[in-house]
Amino acid sequence: MEPSAVGLTEAEYQTIADLLGRQPNDLELGLFGVLWSEHCSYKSSKTLLGWLPHEGPAVVQGPGENAGVVRLNDAWDIAFKVESHNHPSYVEPVQGAATGVGGIIRDIVAMGARPLALADSLRFGLDAASRHLLAGVVTGIGQYGNAIGIPTVTGEASFGHSYRKNPLVNVLCLGIRPTGRTIGAGGARPGDQLILLGQKTGRDGIHGASLLASQDFGAEAETMRPTVQVGDPFMGKLLMEATLAAVASGRLSAVQDLGAAGLTSSIAELCYRSGAGADLWLDRVPCRETGMTPYDIMLSETQERMLLVAAVGEVDDLRRLVDHFEIPFTVIGQVVATDRLTVWFHGERAAEVAPSYLAGACPRRPLAAELSTAVRQPVAADPSPIPLTFEPDWLLQVLAAPDCRDREAIYRQYDSTIQTNTTQGPGHDAAVLRVRGSAEGICLAVSGPGRWAARDAYAGGAGAVSRVIRQLATQAASPLGLTDGINAGNPDRPQEFRALAALLAGIADAARALDTPVTGGNVSLHNETDGEAIWPTAVIGGVGRHFRPLQPYRDAFLRVGERVYLINPDPAPNLGGSVLAGLLGNLGSYPRPDLPRDAACYRFLAEMLRAGIVTASRSVGDGGVLTAIARMAMDSPSRLGVRLFLPADGLGARGFGEGSGQVVVTVGDGERLEGDADRAGVRVLEMGIVVADAAVSLEAGHSYRWDISRLRRAWRGVPGEGEA
Amino acid sequence: MTVGVLVFPGSNCDWDTVHALEDLKTECRTIWYTETDLRGLDRVILPGGFAYGDYLRSGALAAHAPVMAALERRVAETALPVLGICNGFQILCERGLLPGALRNNASGQFRCSLETVRVTAAHPLFPGLAAGTLLRLPIAHHEGSYTVPPGGLGALFEQQQVFLQYADADGVVQAYANPNGSVANIAGVSRGSVVGLMPHPERAMESYLGSADGRRLLSSWLEGGMRHGA
Repeated sequence: MEPSAVGLTEAEYQTIADLLGRQPNDLELGLFGVLWSEHCSYKSSKTLLGWLPHEGPAVVQGPGENAGVVRLNDAWDIAFKVESHNHPSYVEPVQGAATGVGGIIRDIVAMGARPLALADSLRFGLDAASRHLLAGVVTGIGQYGNAIGIPTVTGEASFGHSYRKNPLVNVLCLGIRPTGRTIGAGGARPGDQLILLGQKTGRDGIHGASLLASQDFGAEAETMRPTVQVGDPFMGKLLMEATLAAVASGRLSAVQDLGAAGLTSSIAELCYRSGAGADLWLDRVPCRETGMTPYDIMLSETQERMLLVAAVGEVDDLRRLVDHFEIPFTVIGQVVATDRLTVWFHGERAAEVAPSYLAGACPRRPLAAELSTAVRQPVAADPSPIPLTFEPDWLLQVLAAPDCRDREAIYRQYDSTIQTNTTQGPGHDAAVLRVRGSAEGICLAVSGPGRWAARDAYAGGAGAVSRVIRQLATQAASPLGLTDGINAGNPDRPQEFRALAALLAGIADAARALDTPVTGGNVSLHNETDGEAIWPTAVIGGVGRHFRPLQPYRDAFLRVGERVYLINPDPAPNLGGSVLAGLLGNLGSYPRPDLPRDAACYRFLAEMLRAGIVTASRSVGDGGVLTAIARMAMDSPSRLGVRLFLPADGLGARGFGEGSGQVVVTVGDGERLEGDADRAGVRVLEMGIVVADAAVSLEAGHSYRWDISRLRRAWRGVPGEGEA
Repeated sequence: MTVGVLVFPGSNCDWDTVHALEDLKTECRTIWYTETDLRGLDRVILPGGFAYGDYLRSGALAAHAPVMAALERRVAETALPVLGICNGFQILCERGLLPGALRNNASGQFRCSLETVRVTAAHPLFPGLAAGTLLRLPIAHHEGSYTVPPGGLGALFEQQQVFLQYADADGVVQAYANPNGSVANIAGVSRGSVVGLMPHPERAMESYLGSADGRRLLSSWLEGGMRHGA
């Protein structure tokens, strides 16, 4: 077999031969092929990921395990991670997305945590084919999440031509486990039995990780369909309950899920993290069809499987416990003390390699010494669009733009209320969940603004992190940790690799400045078709501790006469990277966040909310300040509007610029806010007053007025409203 | 009083239902689908979910589970009060314990939303829920479009078997307030001591969850008595 048949280069093949001291056989080559793929080894991104901060007072488990873990309170830890399923979702949208959901759920379950919530982040093109893909992906996410009984509580979608052939489907799962539970992949001890639980192994998804997920798309994408797996949420539910019951029994030494690269990755990672090896008896693996070879069994990506590890004396009790769930339970191997993985098939030695070679020896892409400084340099001057006029139709056009539009058509297809913890679901800046028996709840936000990274990936990365922390701040939640879903183009092309590095530098600097560690995530590269790469897109998920989850803070106009302020107004507003700039045909560069200023703003906002001075708030994001204000009006339960007073000068940039760190708030006592802001060193700008008239009206040299009903029609995508 | 909550492989609202009953200080017990002894139970709930994955047709396989034969006997012999919620409603229809059937939503899509339902015919198992009572309850289903064989609708209304109908905020049963294409906006039906509904009362136990009307519905059902054979 040629190295290229398993996705390896000649140089990598030579390294493998040197490590082994001999030529690998075909099965061994296949094992290296999947584990040394970009998808499994992170060979291009691992050094860059080292830039991210991983330490913090709430961190229980940083990167390296199946998911990060942070401490909520004395009783509960939170496990959470975002993962992408981009290539499979393009090839087969329903099953690609469904198996992506199943995969991230298993990662959380493998940490011994019960999944409480899902969140999705979707990126698609704007053509008819993309709409079809989006519909399929939404169906797939709903199909799996709804059936397994985990609510999808928040999410976001955004659009751009660069995603046309490379849509992004990133899903975050969050679960809780009792504090003190430490199960993971690192606890296997020599003599322990390896137990395969769940679905019988079939020939599905062979080389999904190495060929489908780790290479660019070309004309052959269509022929990749057989590499996509099929999800079975019913089996997923039984597997989840059986695994959680096994973990709770205290009889396991380790757990590892089977995802990309199936048994190969699962066993190699388990051994490597446990500092051990294994004998694997492949002929014992229950298979769906006869005649499956060791190669097929090792590389199959059949879904809904889990690897449990337990001492010999625990196996019978575990079998009895799991029998209730009526799923296959098979001992397929045992842990040995030395660094060797031996694959046996009917008494024959089919392969023998060191797990540390498979999981730890893949050569990493070297970094140029000056890269870290170079990617932080400002990008070449890109004229920042500042409109000289102000067109009243812009507000309708922005609300009707694909990136701003109402998302109910998507989130209505997701069960957001099952498990009865959702006190604030979709349609807000962040979701809020109660945790039964705890005063503290969980706040969850997800955001991945690719448009902000289109010209300046550093600004986009930093902007994404700042936006998520801002969304948590609108709930006065204390940030506990972040997960990063990195999506970029082909790392072999210098400009794409540089964009990836800049994106990560931005994330790293913002996470440090905003004092929130990154506890794990996922990198998806090769999002490129026929040489056209996506906008580098960092999907950031943020988890915070909410202090009053039964009363989420509000984000709409509530009382006539309250003052409307902009906290931390952009000192030099421009349209760079904004929705309006895109509509006007000159996107420009997103302005780099002033991170210390953003940090001060978010601390101040949380304080003002808890003190009851700020009565409602909304984060400024897609569509800028006027869009945030329109949303607060459209969501007003008593149909209140607002009267705004702003300088005519620079109105377009002030109203539609998306500069980082800004939050629209309402207050009963404007002087109090101004005084406290002054003491905190935070700037605030008074913008107007809440009125009983159901309209947004604006005095800015001229008088403008938009009826809320009209704004709502544009936002809901009623044809004829807001069409540019 | 002890309430049994039936659990099929793939049920996923069983714990929500147990929590709701615990909130109402009611003793409850989960009953695995293979059990056939339902003695000692005063009421039974079939919770929501996707029993057996529902790959064939919602509720079709669960309707033939061993526990369902035992349930059917208790209903016939002692008029055991049974409440089917969402997938539980589908299972009861498939078993023939309730009239009609549930088909794919008219939109062809899963739908999760908060809806207003109106009590159409007061039922002896629900004291305090007079005809015309409005409740705000969440729905979350893909197969919730209620249907009856041609000509069956009139009898359903005449026999007071239509329990709940989707309505607008003012309580008027309107076509636009129908979230799933159910015939006559029907959201719940009854036959004797057996009641089924698509909305999830167990998810509406507190106003901070969107509505506390589910608490009202479940408390009423737990209080309600039923004369033998009524």
